[in-house]
Amino acid sequence: MFDEIDARSPIPLYDQIAARIRLAVAAGDLEEGQALPSVRQLAARLRINPATVVQAYRALAAEGFVEMRQGSGTYVRGVSADRRQRAREDQAQRLARGVLAEAARLGIAGEDVARAVQRQLGTERR
Amino acid sequence: MFAQVFRLQGRASALGVALVAVAGFLVPVVAVQRAGFVNPTGWDIAEMLTMVESAGSLFPLLAIVLGLLLAVAAWSPDHRGQHVYALTLPVPRWHYVLLRFAAGVVLLMPVVAAVWIGGVVATGAATIPEGLRVYPGTIALRFGLAALVAYAAVFAVAAGTKRTAAIVFGTLVGVILVQALLELAGLRLEVVRYTLVPLTDWPGPFEVLFGRWMLINV
Amino acid sequence: MSHAIETTDLHYRAGRSFEIRDLGLRVPAGAIYGFLGPNGSGKTTTIRLLLGLLRPLGGTIAVLGHAMPREQHAMFRRVAYVPERPHLYASLTVGEAMALHAAFHPRWEAGIAAELRRTFELEAGARVERLSKGEMGKLLMLLALSQRPDLLMLDEPTDGLDPVVRRDVLMALIDYVSETGATVFISSHLVHELERICDWVGVMDRGRLVAELPMHSFKNGIKRLRVRNAPAQPGDPPFRLLAREMGDGLAGTEVWVVRGWLPTMTQYFEGVGATLSEVVDLDLEEGFVELLRTARAARR
Repeated sequence: MFDEIDARSPIPLYDQIAARIRLAVAAGDLEEGQALPSVRQLAARLRINPATVVQAYRALAAEGFVEMRQGSGTYVRGVSADRRQRAREDQAQRLARGVLAEAARLGIAGEDVARAVQRQLGTERR
Repeated sequence: MFAQVFRLQGRASALGVALVAVAGFLVPVVAVQRAGFVNPTGWDIAEMLTMVESAGSLFPLLAIVLGLLLAVAAWSPDHRGQHVYALTLPVPRWHYVLLRFAAGVVLLMPVVAAVWIGGVVATGAATIPEGLRVYPGTIALRFGLAALVAYAAVFAVAAGTKRTAAIVFGTLVGVILVQALLELAGLRLEVVRYTLVPLTDWPGPFEVLFGRWMLINV
Repeated sequence: MSHAIETTDLHYRAGRSFEIRDLGLRVPAGAIYGFLGPNGSGKTTTIRLLLGLLRPLGGTIAVLGHAMPREQHAMFRRVAYVPERPHLYASLTVGEAMALHAAFHPRWEAGIAAELRRTFELEAGARVERLSKGEMGKLLMLLALSQRPDLLMLDEPTDGLDPVVRRDVLMALIDYVSETGATVFISSHLVHELERICDWVGVMDRGRLVAELPMHSFKNGIKRLRVRNAPAQPGDPPFRLLAREMGDGLAGTEVWVVRGWLPTMTQYFEGVGATLSEVVDLDLEEGFVELLRTARAARR
């Protein structure tokens, strides 16, 4: 789930981790009551500062996706279908923003990108 | 702590200590043998004692070699790592130096024992004429003291930097060179007598190394 | 105590050409502090000063509240040091090197040491002098972590290690930090390595500390802007212009490297008749290079 963490990305590491978990909850890969890896485990596995993991978990807790239980760990909370849908949409929006920024840098207009997305959807449906 | 430092130092010194111990055992044995005490053919006591005395000069030599060897073995592993390991240990410097020094003193013991055993064996196998006595214990003890003095001196120098060592040995060689040059120039100025001799004669610390070493004497 | 390491006006000189001047380091307790700088910038010398292995000409040093170099041996009860060049006794075996270290360090945990030895796949009977570079790196980290320090001073701990060993060593380090909250001071010229794990950065260049700040401000502060119709004279921009170069290809486009950028500052470009077409975050390495460049330009 955390394979694509990229330290060189301008998106802060904690944000990347939080996004992964948020999506996993939204997609139903993580279910209510399931435990997240401990701060120690995840920090060692990703070779990142433990404080970064704590920051990610805190952000998720503030959004209501997880619950940090003192001395026990971090657990996934029950999230409504509506909420899960919104999380997916948020992430899609972020992706779109990134693609458009990259396109602008290359001098490609937004409309061209939109048409390309439609075309791509067409070929994948076929 | 001591056990660990001792093991480390013992590994660096083991071969040298073993060789000197063998030599320390052999010196009295060979000395007594060659002086003719084992298979006496005649009884020229004075000549026999002169032989014992000349062989005895090997003892201080051996003591110096042993002291040098132990001191170098005590510091060379630290020198190789520029003392970083020792200097980053959570003990005061003097504490560490003491551990190192003590380990060397313990490593000196087997050689002293070898000299003593050598003396006992050599004199035991010999026919000692009336009026002469044997001194294996005294020789071994004196050997131990001599080695300790030599060890302490080199240890102190080796504990410092290469520069300290260079200064000490440079001064020593310098004094002897100056004396040699003065002699060549025909000047009777006894530099050595006023600088080095006070160290080697009583009550100088190196006195124990010099003088007569008699395993068998009146 | 809020700082694990604090120095003021540290001064040191070696020979005629190398000097450390006015060094004021402040390493927050609990931080993983990346000490960056090109080779020869004075990182190792600074670490040796902090640990009392070199005597400063002036200034003060406090490490975990211990005044250095006076309280050196008391400090080493709580500080582990992994030097740039291995310093272990070559004649010992791995097991003996561990026993020696254990004898001197009062907080040594034999159980943890044994576990790390298994994790690192080090043979207890292997001679230190025969260890590969990777095994040596692992042994040094094992010794440092098993002495349960409050502060780890690591001088290029993974330099020359292959990626697998580097991963193992860093994992063990992070695991320890997660568990104990110890402070880590880690020097490296490999910027990428520090990017993931450090939350503070200090940058050395030519014997001076040119920056010291939290990682996130370091990464956020410096941006690369693509500017169309850039003005010949920048006037009085709200940010600091570190460098400006011709853009790649498109005529009239320039690349500006700026510090202290905020999104609201786009207004400045409208004011001078230019268009801001892109804002790019610099990663740590690029930011580091720009920082050195401006530090050097300022000194000229």
